[in-house]
Amino acid sequence: MRNVAIVGAGITKFGVREASWKDLVQEAGKAAFKDVPNLDKKEVDSLIVGAAQPERWAYQTHVAPLVAELLGLRPTRVVARTEVACASGQAAIRYAWLAIATGLSDIAFVIGVEKMTSKNMAISQTSMINVANREFDGPSGMTAPPFFAMVAQRHMHDYGTTREQMAVVREKNSTYGSYNPYAQFTKRFSVDAVINSKVVAPPLCLFDCCGMTDGAAAVVLAAEEIAKKLTDTPVWIIGGTQCVFAADTVNQMGNLSEWPALRRAAKELYNMLGIGPRDIDFAELHDCFTISEIMEYEELGFCEKGEGGKFVEEGRSYIGGDVAVNPSGGLLSFGHPLGATGVRQAWEVFNQFRGSVPKERYVGSNARIAITHNLSGLASLHHIMAYSIEKRKEIKLGG
Amino acid sequence: MVKSIRIPATIPFPPLLDLWEQQDEKGPDATRIYQFYKNLAEGRFTTTKCKDCGKLLYPPVAVCSECLSENLEWVDIPKVGEVYAFTEVRAGAPLQFQDTVPFIIAIVRFGDYPKNGIQVSGIMFDLSSEEVKIGTKVEWEPLEILGPGEMRRYWYCFKKA
Ligand SMILES: [Zn+2]
Repeated sequence: MRNVAIVGAGITKFGVREASWKDLVQEAGKAAFKDVPNLDKKEVDSLIVGAAQPERWAYQTHVAPLVAELLGLRPTRVVARTEVACASGQAAIRYAWLAIATGLSDIAFVIGVEKMTSKNMAISQTSMINVANREFDGPSGMTAPPFFAMVAQRHMHDYGTTREQMAVVREKNSTYGSYNPYAQFTKRFSVDAVINSKVVAPPLCLFDCCGMTDGAAAVVLAAEEIAKKLTDTPVWIIGGTQCVFAADTVNQMGNLSEWPALRRAAKELYNMLGIGPRDIDFAELHDCFTISEIMEYEELGFCEKGEGGKFVEEGRSYIGGDVAVNPSGGLLSFGHPLGATGVRQAWEVFNQFRGSVPKERYVGSNARIAITHNLSGLASLHHIMAYSIEKRKEIKLGG
Repeated sequence: MVKSIRIPATIPFPPLLDLWEQQDEKGPDATRIYQFYKNLAEGRFTTTKCKDCGKLLYPPVAVCSECLSENLEWVDIPKVGEVYAFTEVRAGAPLQFQDTVPFIIAIVRFGDYPKNGIQVSGIMFDLSSEEVKIGTKVEWEPLEILGPGEMRRYWYCFKKA
């Protein structure tokens, strides 16, 4: 296996954008190439596009060749689009990493993009139902907010998590997001503001939920010998795992307050790297809802099962705590353009490691290992990637 | 004259924006689990059970996902179940539910879940969230889906038992 590094990254402003799907691709693509001035983009031999539902939100399919056209790329090794709903972006990085690690590709361009806002948001919400088994849970109106509301209800019921503890997640992430001009929401929300915001689906209020958002993010990945020529601050991909416990219908999900597939993916990752949860310095986690981040602390082993609410309340997931979680502001600040999110998290990790973030949300120069995490669908599939400022001598896949 | 193309005044409700299956017995929109919809139309909420490995399969399928057998039988889902989780959709509902908001979504467990039972999601009408609790006994009942046009299809919903 060859070592693989991120050598450049760029994103668009996230939000309700007066820009088309194709406009977003060009904006993020331009920003990423500008970030690697020594790269001749003709040398990009692979292109992977993370996009969840361009067919429905942009009425476009066969998107990878279209992106090649929009960015003037002529890749000859891997040209593909990845779709795993909310994790489409991280999946794109995962397969680009493997293509380079195995020697098939030398330089890969990865872009994640989604255009989700429209004049009729009820139509956009209807499309969100397709991430579950549409035939059987769709007729219940099972979009993400009611599903995660029930997850929160069960977590409160089973483990005693409180309304306030969930609100602390938004307070924390909105504090960091307020120093991130690319985020959709840069306003800070206190615990009181979260609890008193409009109820969307009890116990979740509006500020417990991330937005439906437009945005794109891109990273350039390169093999070790090339990476060193392109940047002085390569950020190495040191591992990645994913796990699904066959489930796209509520009947297969078991207890809503547990995500055994994430526990399993974390275990595989720690085995792969020979590390434990305490070795992680910062993490970009999938905080699509406040309750999600709390459950992720638990399943990733940052704390005991059921202690996630206390973990954030005690400040242990803040910068300076056990592990800095979502120093970017997270999905709660950025919104969640499905295909873009996983790549946007990698952009954040890259910038943290090279120290190019405002000091108010900088995790510090001692940070060595970071992870990004995405759940998708009804939290049935989980992806984790690990990054480091130091390359690993040897990466052994399969633990 | 400038050349032009005129788009029809109305475009049929596209299946992409419709949450219910076409439920056809024959033709390109047919499904091999048509019996599930036929049973619903007759007031029965059913699913498939594998006669070879014994697995209760919900959603119903044409092939057992456990042992890949096609030797399946239709079994009735118990009438009464228990609320495992619920919420009330007050905003951000999909297109089809714009006139139904607010409404309760519940996940209800029927039988001995997960060993020999199922958990399914469904809507509860005309109730506030204060009237439902974890553990509330509910029963399923048939729900007619009317339209577009003359189309009549079938689903289920929950009510307090
Ligand atoms: Zn079987």
